[in-house]
Amino acid sequence: MMEEFSEELEPLFDYRRVQPLNVVCLDDDDLDAPSASPKRRKISDSAVEKVDDTAKAVSVIDCGDKEEEDWLPPPPKVSLDAKLRGEDSTLRELRLKKQELASLAQSAENVMRAVEESVKRELSDSLEAVAEKPSKPRCERNKIVLSIQDKDGAKQFRIYVDDKFERLFKMYADKAKLDLKSLVFCFDGDKIGPAATPDALGMEDNDIIEVRVTSS
Amino acid sequence: MSGGIARGRLAEERKAWRKNHPHGFVAKPETGPDGAINLMIWQCIIPGKSSTDWEGGYFPLTLHFSEDYPSKPPKCKFPQGFFHPNVYPSGTVCLSILNEDSGWRPAITVKQILIGIQDLLDQPNPADPAQTDGYQLFIQEPAEYKRRVRQQAKQYPPVL
Repeated sequence: MMEEFSEELEPLFDYRRVQPLNVVCLDDDDLDAPSASPKRRKISDSAVEKVDDTAKAVSVIDCGDKEEEDWLPPPPKVSLDAKLRGEDSTLRELRLKKQELASLAQSAENVMRAVEESVKRELSDSLEAVAEKPSKPRCERNKIVLSIQDKDGAKQFRIYVDDKFERLFKMYADKAKLDLKSLVFCFDGDKIGPAATPDALGMEDNDIIEVRVTSS
Repeated sequence: MSGGIARGRLAEERKAWRKNHPHGFVAKPETGPDGAINLMIWQCIIPGKSSTDWEGGYFPLTLHFSEDYPSKPPKCKFPQGFFHPNVYPSGTVCLSILNEDSGWRPAITVKQILIGIQDLLDQPNPADPAQTDGYQLFIQEPAEYKRRVRQQAKQYPPVL
């Protein structure tokens, strides 16, 4: 039972392990010759099929190169033939040819992939660079935490150092539900104009803006 | 080197003030015409306490620090002729915590000085008069004193 199990599983399992090896060791194809045992053949057959799949998938990219090898019969037929006739020298050649092709396609694919990746990388790099350029000034826009203090206490706000105060004041008036026109904002005893910015007034983090409600 | 100590302490005082100070108060070192900051002279504003006759007034006060600060207190001056029993005609404030030989301690902060002076506005100390006008009206004509105080508050309106 166990043996059967392992035998059934083996081809599936082996395939992945064997496949890249075949591709890599293509040059010493003589090594492949003694693989005459039926079990081994099975494996290589399924390997051929699989290789063909990849070759097919690759062929989309590799059309031009494949032209001269077009005489090859369709892959399923080959594996069927191999099974039927056993180890035939021409067939073996054929299979090897297939593997060669596959490895060629594989390497071509690898090259393509590498090129694609590098192009992608370059592209994304340049894209990032392009995207970074306009965003850079934004990154340099520092924020500052300021307190707006009335007689009841202080509320903290975070704004850009180059933001005009009118935005902050409007925000404060909305929050406090007060009429913006009735509010006076002062820093160090001087009234803050709506067009002023924290930067222009030399403000630092946690500086206090005094707000007063005018009676008029 | 005492000057270094004074400036170092004043820089700390200013830093602390920027982050935290009572509402309506102002305290900032003088800035010269060239933009240079003089830590030894501070321009301040003391708001009159609400619900007192001083309410609505924002009284300017100048603090003059010496190189001996904080061993010695700063001289605190309202404008000349400021109406208050404990303010000299020159404007200098007479207050125990501002007296080197009396209540001054080096640990007293600018904030404490200004709050102390705000308290003094509505609570004059008749035992230590510094001007006749304010002192006599305070003692003899409370109604007139009150009127003068309210009038003076109107003279120092807030910035609009």
